[in-house]
Amino acid sequence: MKEKRVYNIWFVVPALIIFGIFFLLPILISFVFSLMNWTFTGMSWAGLRNFKTFFSDYSMTIGIKNTLIYAAATCIFKVVLGFLLAVFLTSGIRTKNFLRSVAFFPNIVSTIAVGITFTALMHPSKGLINKALAVIGITGPDWLGNTHLALGSVIFTDIWKGVGVATIIYIAGITSIDRSYYEAASIDGATSFQELMKITLPLCRPSMNSVIILALTSGMRCFDLIWTMTGGGPGFVTDVLASIVYKKYAAGYYGLSTAGNVIMFILIAVIAIPLQNWLQSREEV
Amino acid sequence: MKRKVTTLIGDILGLIGAFVIFIIPFLFMVVNSLKERTEANLLNISLPSEFQWSNFVDAFSAQNYQILTAFKNSILLTLFSVLGLIVVGSMAGYVIQRRRDKLMGTLNALIAIGLMIPAAVMPTIWLLQFLHLYKTMFGMVLVEIGLQIPFTTMLYRGFMASVPRELEEAALIDGSSVPRLFVSIVFPLLRPVTATIIILNACTIFNDFTNPLYFFPGSENVTVQLTLYNFMGQYSSSYNLLFADVIIITIPMLIVFIIFNKQLVEGMTAGAVKG
Amino acid sequence: MKKQLAVLLTAAMVTSMGLSAVSVSAEDATASDGEAAESVAEPEWEYEEATITLMIDTDMTDAGLLAVCDLAKEKLGITVEVEYRVGGTDGDNLVKTRLASGDMTDICAYNSGALLSALNPSEYFADLSDDEWIASRLDATYASTVTVNDALYGVPACASQAGAVMYNKDIYEEYGLEVPTTWDEFLENCQVLQDAGETAVIGSFADSWTTQVVFLGDNANLMALDPDFATNLTNGEDTYAGNEYALASFQKCVDLNPYYNSDYLATSYDDACDMIYNGDGAHWICLTQALSNIYELYGDNSSIGVFAIPATEGDTYLTTWMPTSLYLNKNSENYDAALRFMEFYISDEALDCYTETILPDGPYCINGYELPDNAYPAVAEDMQAYFDSGMTGLAMEFLTDIKGSNCMQITQEAGSGQTTAEEAAAKYDSDCLLQAQQLGYEWAQ
Repeated sequence: MKEKRVYNIWFVVPALIIFGIFFLLPILISFVFSLMNWTFTGMSWAGLRNFKTFFSDYSMTIGIKNTLIYAAATCIFKVVLGFLLAVFLTSGIRTKNFLRSVAFFPNIVSTIAVGITFTALMHPSKGLINKALAVIGITGPDWLGNTHLALGSVIFTDIWKGVGVATIIYIAGITSIDRSYYEAASIDGATSFQELMKITLPLCRPSMNSVIILALTSGMRCFDLIWTMTGGGPGFVTDVLASIVYKKYAAGYYGLSTAGNVIMFILIAVIAIPLQNWLQSREEV
Repeated sequence: MKRKVTTLIGDILGLIGAFVIFIIPFLFMVVNSLKERTEANLLNISLPSEFQWSNFVDAFSAQNYQILTAFKNSILLTLFSVLGLIVVGSMAGYVIQRRRDKLMGTLNALIAIGLMIPAAVMPTIWLLQFLHLYKTMFGMVLVEIGLQIPFTTMLYRGFMASVPRELEEAALIDGSSVPRLFVSIVFPLLRPVTATIIILNACTIFNDFTNPLYFFPGSENVTVQLTLYNFMGQYSSSYNLLFADVIIITIPMLIVFIIFNKQLVEGMTAGAVKG
Repeated sequence: MKKQLAVLLTAAMVTSMGLSAVSVSAEDATASDGEAAESVAEPEWEYEEATITLMIDTDMTDAGLLAVCDLAKEKLGITVEVEYRVGGTDGDNLVKTRLASGDMTDICAYNSGALLSALNPSEYFADLSDDEWIASRLDATYASTVTVNDALYGVPACASQAGAVMYNKDIYEEYGLEVPTTWDEFLENCQVLQDAGETAVIGSFADSWTTQVVFLGDNANLMALDPDFATNLTNGEDTYAGNEYALASFQKCVDLNPYYNSDYLATSYDDACDMIYNGDGAHWICLTQALSNIYELYGDNSSIGVFAIPATEGDTYLTTWMPTSLYLNKNSENYDAALRFMEFYISDEALDCYTETILPDGPYCINGYELPDNAYPAVAEDMQAYFDSGMTGLAMEFLTDIKGSNCMQITQEAGSGQTTAEEAAAKYDSDCLLQAQQLGYEWAQ
């Protein structure tokens, strides 16, 4: 079949035009502006000065550290919990359809609404979580105020909201595995655990790769939830790159904030692209 | 027999877990949305001592029924964006999956980049102004489409892998034109993944807060998330009204979810799976 | 302009801000300004139908403004469409984006002082200095805070206020406490209350902007001890970390940490209003606009008193804030109607309408306008005493253009015991340097 004739390139053009103009072009422009100095007196060439200033910012170290912790933690938990949930929800249980809907449900609620709800649930003196702990005699901490716990609490909420999508992706992968593998395995007398490790896990690797990349990149970009729940605080302990960029922008330091955006892009690309290539190469073997 | 017992235990544990982890937060919102201010601010999960349905009326009528305008805007924005995404995304995903050449490799790389990078705010505004699309629904729709194209194309591309080529070949031999082939044969086969795309994109766009804040400003252009955010500033100590507002603005997505839920998993099969 | 003003201000403040001194301040303003001639006759208010847009933030108590809008519709035929925006960092972000994209409402309400300068007003807002009526009505001190490079941009949207300690008088009576005059006495009072099991100080850290007031509200004390500090800071010749008195302001944030309520990090501004009124805490350091908020909620705030943040050494001065201002969009399509509305907004008639709706948290900044007699006790008695004795000073953001952008996060961090005063001051200094660069100051480049 004549590939080039049937799979006409014009099919791609509308998507490419919209994506190119409304997404790529502004990003390229922002690259240029990250090298400019914007003051009230005008705009001048700044070279890499914005990057230098951004890196020397006192909240920078904690911002990069938190971004990586946040991305890694949400990613790992979504990958593992999503898989376990998916296995559970593809087993013979009767309520699986109901439970699948329930697990996906947080995803239809907006991030701001989730933030408001969990901030209330995690309130140190009035919140439901600490009241429940008090019943069994534990004095709960200030989940969002304690500097050691705040980031973890937001990460928990992110996982709560996002694990449903991971689960759905896994379920799709697991249900598309050919049943004959399992039949053959059970004839050979394999235990359920062996089936899980030797069949389900390797064969739904493509789903796992999708979950990893989606969870990791959204984790590195995360902003809304942190901003609604802690505003980066108390102080700067839960600041991530995106919230620092946002604050610089709000303060009117446009050159600085675009430089921050570029740094964020580079950091994501440096981690996600090799990871994706590596995952894909494993998939093909 | 043993298997039956195990699954029953699974059912029970699953229901308990779902209740504690997922259902309690929603119950919490619902009961508190029906309480009186001081009672709601105790943040209890107990039933309201008196059901104050007027909270919903208050949340609805706040700021001169702004929420009505917001609903209109958000629903139109979501509708047009999702329609646009289905059209351009399915076409692109189709060809990108079927052709295997250098150009498609570049496009795949672009998809990967699009999934990763956050949008640039100021340049996008200038661009929209330059094109006279700033503050217009059309411009906002194009921005949302631009942001969601990578994800949508990725899902379509993945799903295409499971659609056999034989059907297309047969149709071509019968003398069908290429656009017709796509519309009448390929696209109907993409139904399950289209349902998935509708749910996921509708949730993302309807719940989007930052992009409309930047690219679609003006009081007549408010979106529902913006009303919630304003509400949060104004009624930060009136949890009853806050939760009433949250529930009101979640309903449209609940409806979308109920309609397309059945196809969700089916559409994901292969969709996100085969990169 | 700002620089010379800083020197003049302390003197000007004393007279022009006094509640009872308002009527005489017109002459003072003339004396110190030289430009504002004898009072200009009020314009004839014509009736001409028009619709204008006005953006305010949700943190501002809007009842008074809305009442004036209704009056304007009736009297001037101007319909004002009020657009609400979020406050805090998100609000700054929104305002700057809207300005930069040329999409501001006809009138925009925003802070006066350094935060106005940070908007680059000459680019976006109309210069009102040629409008004789407006120029004659504005109190000289206020006018200086909305003047950037000799151009006058704003009219006051509400009353001025103070950043001070609000305290529950019933609790003070119960424990036989006296209003402290030094910081050490204040901490002793806190200790007595804490030992008795009371919440000594309410922290409302969930709204991080409130944490700044401890630091910013100490500025009048700082300026009394080092009158050149604002000028030196503006010229890059002094820093917060390098000035003993400035450091003391940050130290106060740190000192209070042991006395806060146990859930202070999750307590919001509105929660704190409830708490101070109901006696769930003895002190709360915040802007006195909270008095209006409490009054709106409970119809009463007479149990709440106000005293200035006590000085570490020397006499205690009350730090005052200039009102939020209304600015006119230079490129507005409804420029004339919007200007007419702003002129009307500062007329006696509009101010009467305003004060009938909400009582002021402090004096107005309009020449010749007398305040109503029924002011809140905390304003009429406690704050008035500072004005009468001349013991007031402006917050730093009205004395210099430089305000570090992360101020609220820095004070939140110090107040929650994460950093020392020195660390906080050093961070704030680096923020100020960044702002000075942005403003194009030579020394910062």
